[in-house]
Amino acid sequence: MKPVIALTKGRLEKQFTEYFKSLGFDTTPLTEKGRKLRVETDDFQFIFAKGPDVTVYVEHGIADLGIVGGDILAEYQPDVYDLFPLPFGACRMAVATEKGKVWPDQKKTIASKYTGITKQFFKANGESVDIIKLEGSVELAPILGLADGIVDIVETGTTLKENGLVVDEEFMNFSARLIANRSHLKIKKDALMPFIEKLKSKKGV
Amino acid sequence: MFLPAGSQDQIGEKLDRQAKVIQSFRTVVKDRGFKAIETPVVEYAQTFNNSHVGMKLSHMLKWFDRDGEIEVLRPDWTTAIARAIMNQHPKQLKWFYQGSIFRQDKNGFESRQAGIEIVRADPYLGEIESLFTAVDVLSAWKIDNYLIELGHTAIFDYFIQELGVTDDTKKLLRTALHDKKQDDVYRLVDQTNKPSIAKELVELTEAYGDKTILDEYKQKWGNRPELIEVINHLQSLIDNLEALGYKNIIIDLGRVKQLPYYSGVMFRGYLTSTGETCFSGGRYDQLYDQFGDDKIRAIGLAFDVDVLANHIKDDQTKNKVCLVCTPKTHVKAEKMRKDFPDSVVDITYEQPNEEDYTKVITVRDEVNQ
Repeated sequence: MKPVIALTKGRLEKQFTEYFKSLGFDTTPLTEKGRKLRVETDDFQFIFAKGPDVTVYVEHGIADLGIVGGDILAEYQPDVYDLFPLPFGACRMAVATEKGKVWPDQKKTIASKYTGITKQFFKANGESVDIIKLEGSVELAPILGLADGIVDIVETGTTLKENGLVVDEEFMNFSARLIANRSHLKIKKDALMPFIEKLKSKKGV
Repeated sequence: MFLPAGSQDQIGEKLDRQAKVIQSFRTVVKDRGFKAIETPVVEYAQTFNNSHVGMKLSHMLKWFDRDGEIEVLRPDWTTAIARAIMNQHPKQLKWFYQGSIFRQDKNGFESRQAGIEIVRADPYLGEIESLFTAVDVLSAWKIDNYLIELGHTAIFDYFIQELGVTDDTKKLLRTALHDKKQDDVYRLVDQTNKPSIAKELVELTEAYGDKTILDEYKQKWGNRPELIEVINHLQSLIDNLEALGYKNIIIDLGRVKQLPYYSGVMFRGYLTSTGETCFSGGRYDQLYDQFGDDKIRAIGLAFDVDVLANHIKDDQTKNKVCLVCTPKTHVKAEKMRKDFPDSVVDITYEQPNEEDYTKVITVRDEVNQ
C-alpha cells in the first residue's frame, strides 16, 4: 500500500507542490490533476480536502499523513501527531479593529472564523468576550458594526489595510505543518519514514 | 423519536459479535484465575477527578444529586475498581470486568470494554501475566494480526528531573512529546538551563519502531543507569513474549502517560489491518496512593470490545428451518424443534418466502386428516 497523504486544497497545495518539486519529486500528476480529488503518483496517493477535513482524514486513518496549516490545528485540535513545521504557509494570528477604534468599557464582541483560538486567547488574557462565528470576509464585521474587533490570520496585511482596519495585537505565528495518524506512523514506519525524512531535510529544527 | 448525537442502538450481528468477544474473554480469564467484579454505573465525580486520578470533569457525563454532589456515569473502570477492591479481601489478586464506560470527549458517549486488574501481586509477575493474558485472549478470538507496543513512564520522568522545570513547563513538554511535536519540544527545552538535552528529547519523538531501538538506546544511554534499567526491563518483557512465541512487538521510548496515575511500563495493542487500538494498559501503582501509606502495586489492561467485535469472524451460519403451522398445530411444531438440533428453527402461521430458509416444512394436524 502506498502512503496516503492528505493535502490542504488551495494556496497551501500550490506551495506544497513547489516545495515537493524542490525536493526532487516529480509533481506532474499533482499539477495536472484537473478537478480530481484523488491522485496517485508512483510512490504516493494524494487526497485533496479543506484544511479542517485534512485533520479528520488523518485522525481517522484514511490518510497516513497530512499537510495542513498550524492555524487549523490550533483551532480544531485533532488527535494526531503534529510532527514539525514546513517552510511555507507562514501567517500570524491577530486581533484587529477599525483604525482609531476606542475599545468599549464593557465586554467586547469579537468576530472570527477561529472561535476556539479567540476564546483561548482572551481567556489567557483574563478577559471575557462575546464571540460571533463568521465563515469569511471577517473584516466586514467591525466596519458594519457587528463586532468591536476581529481575530483572523494576517499574511501581508493588505486586506486589513484596504478595509480600514489595523492590527491591535499579534499573538500566534503559524506555518504549514506535517501531521500523522497516531497508529499508522508506527505501524507503517518503514513506508512513511523516507517521505518524512525528505520533508524534514530543509526545515532546520 | 430521536436519539441524542453520540448515542446508538445496537442490533443483530453486531450484538452477537460483542457477546462472542465477551464470552471468550470471560472463559479465558476465569481459567487463568481472575475473579469477576462490577462497579455501579453511577459514581461520585470526586472518585475520578481527585488529584491522584486527574481525569477531566469536562469529559464526564455528569449531574448534581439532591445534596449538590456531582455524580457521573462511570468514565473509567480501573479507578472505579481500585475504589471497590479496597473493601475486598487482599488475598484475591486478579480481577476482571466487562461493561461500558461513558465519556464526552470521544465520538459516541458509550464504549464497551473488557479488562483485567492485577493488584498487590509481584510487579514482574503482574506485567508478564497482563501481557500473556492479552496474547491468550486475542488467540481465543482468533485475532493474530496485531502488534504489541511497549513504553515506560520513567524515561520522561528522568529527563524532567534532569531539567528541573516547573510543573507548567512539565505539562507543556508532556503534551509536546505526546504529539511528537518536535519544534515545541526543542523550544521548551532550549529555554531551560540545560539546553543540551533539547536534541535528545527531540530524538525521543522518533524513538519508536522494532526492538532494535532498544539496542540503539542502550548504547546511547550507556552512562545513565536509571535509563539502562528501563531498557533492560523492556527487553526482558520482550524476551518473555518471544519465548512464548509472540514476536510482533514495537517500542515507543518517547511515549508519555496521559493520566497522572500511570507509573512504569505502558502497553498497547494495535490491529495491523486498520491501525485501531484493540487494548491498552500499564502499571499504575500511584493510583492506590490515595488509599493510604501502604504501597500497593497494580497493573492492568482493557480491551476495546467495540473495535474487536468488528474484527472477529462470524460463527458459521446455521441452517434455517421454517415450520409452518396453525394455532392448532403450534404445540406439535414446538415439539419438532428437537429434530433439528443444529439449526435455527422459526415457527410461523403463514407460508414464508422459501428463499429465506434452507427448508420449509408444513406441520399438519394428523387427527383431522
